[in-house]
Amino acid sequence: MYKISKLAELRKLVHGMERSLGLQELSPVERDLYYAASELSEDFRQVRTVGLIEHSLLTDVSRPTFFRALRSLVSKGYLSQCSSANRGCYVVNQPKS
Amino acid sequence: MRLHTGRMHDFLLETTIASSVYFFTVVITFLIVIPVQNILFPEYPSRASLLFLPHGVRVLSAWLMGWRAIPALLPGVIAAFVYVAGWDAFLPSRLVAIVVAVSVAPFTFLALKAVGYNLFPSVGRSPCWICILAVGAITSILISALTNLAFGTSTVEFVAYLIGDVSGLFFGLLALIYLFRFLDRVR
Repeated sequence: MYKISKLAELRKLVHGMERSLGLQELSPVERDLYYAASELSEDFRQVRTVGLIEHSLLTDVSRPTFFRALRSLVSKGYLSQCSSANRGCYVVNQPKS
Repeated sequence: MRLHTGRMHDFLLETTIASSVYFFTVVITFLIVIPVQNILFPEYPSRASLLFLPHGVRVLSAWLMGWRAIPALLPGVIAAFVYVAGWDAFLPSRLVAIVVAVSVAPFTFLALKAVGYNLFPSVGRSPCWICILAVGAITSILISALTNLAFGTSTVEFVAYLIGDVSGLFFGLLALIYLFRFLDRVR
């Protein structure tokens, strides 16, 4: 039996509300990365890290900041890793509004 | 023995947090929300708050704790009634209102679970905030109807309670979004 943290559950609840109401906060780098990913995504809404790093919106962004923003977008659900065990491949998700 | 001590510690912590937050939101409602409401809507005929934040506290406590929300909220609800009504809080009609205030939300969640709509937190399941808001509206109607039996309030008050409770829950959740963001920044 798992012990569920009440604070974590409360955070999950407001996180769902945040996403539904379109209130989720993105940093400028996260926003640029998401725009770049949306632009580059192909038929299956997939995008590769290599292409993203070279995108004009992200050329001035350092590698650590880029990967931090990438991880953050995945944790917020804007991007998800491709179902195939293909590293560096992400699926662009539509933010719920 | 240690297990019992741990459970007692958890229960006391839950009770302290739930009751303190409930009482705090009641004080905010009476010191800030209602005076502002009286300035903005002087013609408004009801004395009920159009933004009743304590309803959000009782619904979220019931969702998180189930039946344990009843004893956890009881000290806060009694303190709130004494704060608002003085020693009249212990009149029979107000004692009924206290019981209604603490018990309706947990029983609504438990009743929904019994008929197959288990909204309680669960590992691996995303909480449905719209469902929590809907339960907030249902419990508001039930609390208003049952309080009406004890106090005999008018239809205008009934509608005002419903608006105040649902907006209190919604804006309470919204306030939590910004509170969590603030805490994340501070950390």
